[in-house]
Amino acid sequence: MTPLLEIAGLTKRFGGLAALDGLDLAVAEGEIVSVIGPNGAGKTTLFNTMTGLYGPDQGDVRFEGQSVVGLKPNQITRLGISRTFQTVHLFPNMTVLENAMVGQHCRGRAGLVSSVLRLPAQRNEEERIRDRARDCLSFFGGRLSGYRHDQPAFTLSYANRRRLEISRALATEPKLLLLDEPTAGMNPKETLELTDQIWRLRKDRDLTILVIEHDMRVVKGVSDRVVALDYGKKIAEGTYEEVAHNERVIEAYLGRKAAAG
Amino acid sequence: MTMARSELRRRVVRAGLLAAVAIVYLCLVGMVQAFSTRNIVGGNLPLSRILLLLPSAVAASLAVRPRVRGGVTMELNMGEAAGAGASIGLIAGAAVAVGIGIVNLIGQEAVRGVFNAVTSALLLTLTLQRSTVVGTAILVALSTATGALFALAGVLAPRLRRPIVTGLTVVLLMGMLQSVVRVMLVQLGLATQWLYSVTFGGLTYLGAVASFAAGMAGARLWALRREAAAADAAERAEAGGRPRIPRAMLLVPVGFVLLALPALLGTFLSAVLGQVGIFVLMGLGLNIVVGYAGLLDLGYVAFFAVGAYATGVLTAAVNSGSSLHPGLPFLLAVPIVVLIAVAAGLLIGGPVLRLRGDYLAIVTLGFGEIARVLVTSDWLKSFLGGAQGLIAIPAPTMSVGGLHIDFRNPQPFYYLALGFCLLAAFVSWRLANSRVGRAWNAMREDEQVAEAMGVSTVRYKLLAFACGAAIGSLGGALFAVQIGSLAPSSFVFFISIQSLAIIILGGMGSIPGVIVGALVLVGLPGFLTEFAEYQPLIYGAVLVAIMLYRPEGLIPNVRRTRELHEEEVEQDAWLEGVPEPAPSMTLGEAVE
Repeated sequence: MTPLLEIAGLTKRFGGLAALDGLDLAVAEGEIVSVIGPNGAGKTTLFNTMTGLYGPDQGDVRFEGQSVVGLKPNQITRLGISRTFQTVHLFPNMTVLENAMVGQHCRGRAGLVSSVLRLPAQRNEEERIRDRARDCLSFFGGRLSGYRHDQPAFTLSYANRRRLEISRALATEPKLLLLDEPTAGMNPKETLELTDQIWRLRKDRDLTILVIEHDMRVVKGVSDRVVALDYGKKIAEGTYEEVAHNERVIEAYLGRKAAAG
Repeated sequence: MTMARSELRRRVVRAGLLAAVAIVYLCLVGMVQAFSTRNIVGGNLPLSRILLLLPSAVAASLAVRPRVRGGVTMELNMGEAAGAGASIGLIAGAAVAVGIGIVNLIGQEAVRGVFNAVTSALLLTLTLQRSTVVGTAILVALSTATGALFALAGVLAPRLRRPIVTGLTVVLLMGMLQSVVRVMLVQLGLATQWLYSVTFGGLTYLGAVASFAAGMAGARLWALRREAAAADAAERAEAGGRPRIPRAMLLVPVGFVLLALPALLGTFLSAVLGQVGIFVLMGLGLNIVVGYAGLLDLGYVAFFAVGAYATGVLTAAVNSGSSLHPGLPFLLAVPIVVLIAVAAGLLIGGPVLRLRGDYLAIVTLGFGEIARVLVTSDWLKSFLGGAQGLIAIPAPTMSVGGLHIDFRNPQPFYYLALGFCLLAAFVSWRLANSRVGRAWNAMREDEQVAEAMGVSTVRYKLLAFACGAAIGSLGGALFAVQIGSLAPSSFVFFISIQSLAIIILGGMGSIPGVIVGALVLVGLPGFLTEFAEYQPLIYGAVLVAIMLYRPEGLIPNVRRTRELHEEEVEQDAWLEGVPEPAPSMTLGEAVE
């Protein structure tokens, strides 16, 4: 069976710096894979290249057997890859519900004419968009539901902004979800909660998840498999235990041990 | 906590000097003298005197507002406020007195060499038609008193201040719109003598008191209604129901007024309203591009020109200066005009897809100029008439039961414009609350993220330009009908600025805002002919004031307000110490 996501020889250079250097990575359907690595290892560049924000210099990204290189970000989202951002990027002045409804945009069809005439098809679609957006928000229980629906996004707490980003990404109805440091800035309790929720995302919504994370407890908690990057190259891959004890990984994080003697 | 003496003194001097500069400026550009014949109340309060006192009033009421310094709100008590206001008025008045002195010292002729508005008539206006010394003294005293009074109003609780300010505004508006209101009352067969003075033209004293009372009552009622509506909304939210009176019901009386207006206003004022209609269309179109999609277009006049010239060429039957004269009927030409405008919108939208913000503004500015150059050019002279423009554009006509209606006549033209405006407003409103509107909004907030969330920014940018162009071209089509001939000099940059000013004044993204903006910026100079000369000056002043004191516009779009006051809301929440609500558990979770 072909893996859901297949990355082969992916290279992205910024000037002389190779942020990604011949990276190979395959993710099977239903897997949760963590991507770790020190700052500047190329993790976010990997996400940006996969979602079409950057075009790669070499290599290929295949999603369900189809190459997505050269497609626009909105086309890739429509195919079923959705993401959150490392620094939260919501639509701050739209309400919580509207933010999620924008996520549903790519699953709708209503255009100019049907919107102006408010044709039955458009009304049904609008209702469906609203329902699905509500459903995605309800994933986080009461935190983004009820009265929160009509609050502008900028009034949310930091943790709730992160949750709304995930809800908005869910609203695009992805098959593959890319989470870029979902627990950054959360307190330990919230982090623990989110770890559970990442599991639930897979269980309830049949998602495949690729997550960039710095918090090793989260990585340990969620990952089927861990991939470590350094200087745009894969330096280790395997279970959490294998990667966490891999010498090259430790070196990448802590530096090479002083030469003996 | 009261304010430190030195701080208060600084503020008073600054406000006084600003008011002084404003007054002297208004005198020197001739505005004061131009307004001296328009009586507002009785024979002793022409607009010129109000203009002389207005800067002191505004400066005084703004200077005494409470401020927050170092986390503590500093307020003035009534006595301090009155003192501060009087000082501000005194400084402003003294500046005028000094000015009068200087003019008398150097001699009027010498000053007039530079400032040609300084005439003996102006000096008489400034000294209230009295001798120089007495008149100047009275002016300074009046200015001082005005400053004190408005400073007192400034420290009143908003509950008391709002009705007073509204009352005064109503008096001023009733006085300024005397011609409009009087004509309407006469047409309705109502007596006007009690309201407007026959000798002076302005309000009688009784009329002024009645207007003031009406304004106060209106403001009070509005406040009560809003409280009731808030309570009602809370109740409704709990009950999950709809409002008791459907809002559509409110549209019925508005519709009647709109239909009856031309009959009430007569020819001249209907013509002004027709002009307003053209700019409502321009505002609505630009509102889609700038207000909804966030694409700052400074060359919007291009679409106005496309609409006007396309209408001119398509409807002209006889030799209009164009080698083409198919002579289509107006209503048949309009859809073609819209299509041509959509094509123009896509043509302009295409090259600027990758540009944002200032860059976009500059490039569209260039496109606006290109449009003007193209219609003047020899290259298109055989089609568009070059510098001579187009003439003999026929007015659409209609015969209803033997009655011949010519839509160039102001009253039928008003209905034509009204129809177009209603259509455009309806389209804008439906689009705003749809998937398309949401996509535009997301794009305006963060283009890159909107794209990543599945919104095709290319598609929606082009769509915004096309929609904006279509609506703007309707304005151009009406313009061609109204004037009957087109000259390239009508399609200047100022039209773009005017359209932008309308939506900034009214509130970006707000449809009622566009209508109010057009009424104020196009209607007012039309109703009050003495304003027309100072139109650009008033535009500038209005824009600066709006940007400083009410950046969301007069009738704001909810979302814009959030955006501009985001910080304040966050600050408020922080000050009130609103805790993050504990995660509420759903029933299912509780059972688990």
